[in-house]
Amino acid sequence: MKGIDSLTGFLDRSGCLRTATQLVRDLAASGQPLAVLWFNLDRFKQVNESFGHIGGDSVIADIAIRFRARTSGRAELSRMGGDEFVCLVPECDRIQAQQLARELMNTVEEPLTVGDLVLHPTASVGIAIYETGEDPLELLERADRAMFASKGKGGNSIVISGDEPVPGRLGILLAREELSIENSLHTAFETGGFHLHYQPILRADGSIEAVEALMRCTVNNQTISPGKFIPVAEKTGLITRLGEWSLLQGALQARTLRDAGCPTKVAINISRAQLVSPKFSNALHAALLCANIQPDLIELELTESLFMDISETVQKNLKSAIKAGISLAIDDFGTGYSCLANLKDIPARKLKLDRTFVTVLPDDSRALAVVQAVTQLGRNLGMTVVAEGCETQKQNDALLNVGVDAIQGYLHAYPMPGEDLIAWIQERKQP
Amino acid sequence: MSENISMTATPEPPAIDTLFEQSMRDIEIPPCPDILNNIMEEARKSEPDFNRLASLIKADVSLSAGLIKTVNSPYFGMRRRVGTIHDALIVLGLDVSKRAIAGIVLRDIFPVTPAMERFWDASARIARISGWLAQKLQLPGLLPEDAYTLGLFRDCGIPVLLLRFPDYDKVLGIANSNAQHSFTSVEETVLPTNHAMVGCILAQSWWLPEELCLAIRNHHDLPILQSAESRLPMLSRRLIATAQLAEHILQHECALSSTQEWPKLGATCLRLLNLQEEDLEQLYAEGRPIAEATE
Repeated sequence: MKGIDSLTGFLDRSGCLRTATQLVRDLAASGQPLAVLWFNLDRFKQVNESFGHIGGDSVIADIAIRFRARTSGRAELSRMGGDEFVCLVPECDRIQAQQLARELMNTVEEPLTVGDLVLHPTASVGIAIYETGEDPLELLERADRAMFASKGKGGNSIVISGDEPVPGRLGILLAREELSIENSLHTAFETGGFHLHYQPILRADGSIEAVEALMRCTVNNQTISPGKFIPVAEKTGLITRLGEWSLLQGALQARTLRDAGCPTKVAINISRAQLVSPKFSNALHAALLCANIQPDLIELELTESLFMDISETVQKNLKSAIKAGISLAIDDFGTGYSCLANLKDIPARKLKLDRTFVTVLPDDSRALAVVQAVTQLGRNLGMTVVAEGCETQKQNDALLNVGVDAIQGYLHAYPMPGEDLIAWIQERKQP
Repeated sequence: MSENISMTATPEPPAIDTLFEQSMRDIEIPPCPDILNNIMEEARKSEPDFNRLASLIKADVSLSAGLIKTVNSPYFGMRRRVGTIHDALIVLGLDVSKRAIAGIVLRDIFPVTPAMERFWDASARIARISGWLAQKLQLPGLLPEDAYTLGLFRDCGIPVLLLRFPDYDKVLGIANSNAQHSFTSVEETVLPTNHAMVGCILAQSWWLPEELCLAIRNHHDLPILQSAESRLPMLSRRLIATAQLAEHILQHECALSSTQEWPKLGATCLRLLNLQEEDLEQLYAEGRPIAEATE
């Protein structure tokens, strides 16, 4: 019969497209969602190779029966040829589509006997939800592409169209949102959309211990938060350029501050990608040379895990920085493994206690106990202990009480552009 | 050797000489020149104000003359001749304008000394030959304006290091004549960094395109240039090869101080540019007038 697959009794390719067109037309009138689920059995080629096409056909027919039983009139079922099935499901949104896909994947996985062997088949699923005005063919193709992406993940998984990774400008597979961020990063590189803001870190007596350089990104008048752009920069490798750029900018800021008569240490965050590179030390010195600044005005902030990286390159890079006279700080202390046995071997002069301990002060007595103990430990190891994320006077008092050396947070100052920082420092100097 | 130079070329008393040297060493490398920042500020807008930019550029006579000259240079790759700064901005677009202007202001941040003049003259010639090569070779993605810009920026780490290290010229001499080790590894036996990295950091800070920055960074690195796995984009590789070939043509035709770079990198560069050893003779002949031309 025309439009029907003889093995399964499902619609065939042409029947599927005809039905999809009809459903899209109905939908335009009703405004109901429509989902397309595209199934492909994993490793089916091996079934065909091992059991011949007759064996393969029996598997397909078996699975078709299960699909029909599970969807029971909820969906239009098609076989697109080979081991590919499509379910057109009207009045089905993204979440319902995922549920149905999972149910159908479960039914596929039930053991299946071919000859004297028991198979445990799995399937890769791509889902596309109809978008207003979309062509039915385009809708089916989106589901097919999503299924392909699911295969790319190793199969036995669901990918929703729009979420599947696509190659970005650097050829690295990214999800849609990441892709748009990657594009923004490139635009920011071309149009100078990156800036450093500086947040002062204050000692107990109110003097400035250092300022931390924090990256900001603005593209088309929109600010992208570091929480979003830094992971993408890490994934794409752009973090190396960003990190090196901030090394030079931070060093130049240190020079500007020195020339303005307020020499202040600038703390710069270093990423894993930078530190594992054999060229890190070169880049660091190149930045110092360009800025023409004494190394003791620069501090590098690294997370604890980076200090623990025992690879030769990382250790060499750390040693080279220390040898040059640059000080190191352990950033976000307390959130990683925080192995106390290692702490004694870390060549850092400063320990920055993570904000998670600070924001719950002063009420959380257990957090306070940790802060107190770490402060004591840090001091005994000869380190300066800094608390991050201090927002209230009560937190500040509690931190000073336990003997923290310096405090960073909105209570004292928000991160600010370099120009404002000089004014801020000079204002504080006024009697 | 430095004594000889000070006896003949700089007759000032030693005290002033030292002061001069000190002040040179203190010369600041700007994070990003204001004019580039202004261009990017406009580029960030949905409707850039070309009139505003044109009047900013016109305020600097040597910059505007330099820009018109660059745009009209047959080696920068623009087909249309332009008469005004406004037209130049329109024809080039903001992105390419930025690159052209960066190349012009780069030279101005360094002090004028005979050695620097010779250095910039060689860079300008390499830039022009590179632009010409890119037009001639017609390789996908390889644009004359990029090749020209790399020619100018490729070695910009050298003047920075000359400023910071009084003996850097001696290091250059040794690196230039070393046939075994890479140029940058020779630098690193004496310095904590090398001119390729310094140049890359500077170019990054001036917001030059990623491919150009990577080309500056890796232009002496044969293993990275050869490796299929390294993440160096093909465009960066071809830019490096173009500039290297340009330098080779210049040295071959003008008998300028010869380096060991072509023996070390030449074969790889030719491969990247889809050229054979036999093609060189013709390139020498055709490239000679460009290599010899004065600006």
